[in-house]
Amino acid sequence: MERSYAVEIVYRGIFQKNLAKNIARGIVLAARREGKVGIAFGRYGDSPERNGIPAKQFAIVAPNEEILQESMAQYEPKEVDVTIVLDDTLCKGVESWAWYGLQPINKLLKPGGTLIVTSLLEPDELIKFIHRKPYEYNLAIVKGAASFSGLWVYKDDHTDVRVLGAVARVAPEMVSLGSIQQMILREWKNELKATSAEKSYSRITMRKVLPHEGNPEEPYSFVLPRWYEMREGIAIPAIPVGGKYNEEGGFAATPNPYFKKFSTRTMRPVVDFDKCVKCTLCWLQCPDTCYNVTPDGYYDVNLDTCCGCGVCEAVCPVDGCITMIHETNFTDHKSQWKMWKQDKQAYAKWVDELRRSRPPRSHGFQYRGQYEKELASIAEER
Amino acid sequence: MSTQTQVLEPFKGVKKVPLEEYFTAGHRTCQGCESALVMKLMVKAAGPRTIVLGSTGCMYVANTTYYSTSWVVPWMHTQLGSSGSAALGTAAGLKALMRKGKIKEEPINVIAFCGDGGGADMGLSAISAALTHSEYNFLILLYDNESYANTDIQVSGLTPWGAHTTFSPPGSMRRILHRRWKKNVAGMLAAGHPECRYVATVCASYAVDMMNKVRKALSIGGPTFIHSIDPCPKGWDYDPMLSHELGELAVLTGVWPLYEVENGVLKLYGKTKAIAEGRQKRLPVREYLLRQGRFAHFTDEDIEYFQSKIDEMWEKWLIPGVIPFRKELEKELEKEE
Repeated sequence: MERSYAVEIVYRGIFQKNLAKNIARGIVLAARREGKVGIAFGRYGDSPERNGIPAKQFAIVAPNEEILQESMAQYEPKEVDVTIVLDDTLCKGVESWAWYGLQPINKLLKPGGTLIVTSLLEPDELIKFIHRKPYEYNLAIVKGAASFSGLWVYKDDHTDVRVLGAVARVAPEMVSLGSIQQMILREWKNELKATSAEKSYSRITMRKVLPHEGNPEEPYSFVLPRWYEMREGIAIPAIPVGGKYNEEGGFAATPNPYFKKFSTRTMRPVVDFDKCVKCTLCWLQCPDTCYNVTPDGYYDVNLDTCCGCGVCEAVCPVDGCITMIHETNFTDHKSQWKMWKQDKQAYAKWVDELRRSRPPRSHGFQYRGQYEKELASIAEER
Repeated sequence: MSTQTQVLEPFKGVKKVPLEEYFTAGHRTCQGCESALVMKLMVKAAGPRTIVLGSTGCMYVANTTYYSTSWVVPWMHTQLGSSGSAALGTAAGLKALMRKGKIKEEPINVIAFCGDGGGADMGLSAISAALTHSEYNFLILLYDNESYANTDIQVSGLTPWGAHTTFSPPGSMRRILHRRWKKNVAGMLAAGHPECRYVATVCASYAVDMMNKVRKALSIGGPTFIHSIDPCPKGWDYDPMLSHELGELAVLTGVWPLYEVENGVLKLYGKTKAIAEGRQKRLPVREYLLRQGRFAHFTDEDIEYFQSKIDEMWEKWLIPGVIPFRKELEKELEKEE
């Protein structure tokens, strides 16, 4: 290895913080076993992390100190050899809270680099979400649902070592499978995890992504005023109070124009308006002020601002009225109420189909003993 | 010189709650952030003629990053321990400006919020001082997510016993590192400031009740204080969709009693009142604790200890849930038993 290698890990804040740390650290510790040097670190601008908001960790591996120092002389890597995506819904683009606007998931990926995604989808299904690149790169899929847990209780479902196995496969010059396995035995003292890494190494699905394959959408962006353009006392204008939902009435809040938050969500609420009893609870209890009030007194979620927490589903008193559905089932942010108004039968059919879609909710700790149960069922499947 | 407050009648039911939002979408809080909900409901209850002051914490950092805000009403940042000083200073400033004819004379709500770190640890003396200034009208709202959540969950004076935090990770040698009991802030401030006309505890899971407490605090006159319990998916470690349910469980298990002290008169309300009057059974704390990753290391003995402290609060305190004294006479009787 003549040059340094950079790997970025894009993950869901808090839910996958420990998972991302294990992977970044694992890469560097394994490379050290080959006499290389490296460093693993979280992106400063993502701290303090928030549940669900996209965040990043990096691992840099170099043949010697000098090249490592040279690579570290920048705030964070400008381009990477491998991008690891720990939740496939991040493929739609990420709006981290460190900056403004949406960034394609493959933004930093070099020509010929590899995007590793943990997903239940096939490569072709995934590529339609990923923004186009003007050059060729590789897509590798580690089959599995996104692994979510929290700050304190880790769900050890082997996602960490399965991703490390995939890294060895796509960047063998940086780190070999043998070193990864040695590192696992030393750090985790777990034979089963070392076997998981090896299985993943041989089982990943790979595919070339051709120039201009993928999502043609232009990610949204805007120019922020400079500090010297602000008012005296660094004052900025408040958000205007909202207005009518449409000319017939209702109410729509005006959201903050500089942060949309939708890339935080992995699931979105789908409202079955035929079942709605207009109890107001989704609207009242939404921490993100996402529900607009329609002129006929229904509640229509603004999908630009919804971060997918699921509180609305939890508080809704009617069974099956609000259902959280995985984000990979959607490609737009159309108003559900307008769709329903246009064609109620077609809407009912659409909602019914979505309810049967996969994968189910996995957003971390719900009760003690839950992870043990989930791990037992994963072990059975494998 | 007017020291009038706004007339804010209680909302009679959820259908009477206005549609307008004064804290809007596009803040950078966690999925399922209950404190963001508290901000939304607080200012919805207060209405458009309101100034909000926020001391450092999640509700400052996450809501107002560079050139970005979610506030529709005027909002200003103040330092970590300064919610009391900022509230008092703003109320006094408005009064002076009106007296000098520089702004129109009208009642303007002043609300300063603080987290449990900013309010119950660092800012306690400033809040206490502010609550003695009975000629100024303002509300101090403490949103309590039971840790320094913004900086990734360090222990605060309001972190419950035994909770897993960055400062108290359970280990093989010592399972429980945080061995201090949570401060009783609302009770302390109500008992310690006899001139303060309104102190209340709230939980945003009961949104209309919560908004009506804010409306009463703003209209009663003088300095007032509200303490809100805010389930925190990040620090408490749970699926964000459970935020609402955990708020309810805090009340139903008796961990978080709902009460208000209005002109020196104590009133329990909501489910707390039902529990106190025996119309509803207090749920075991186990159901609350084992839904949260921060208590996942608890053994049965730890849960029993937690339960015994809550039982003590309900059965032994001079005023259950509010004043932790016991009368000497009762102590004597206990000895005889």
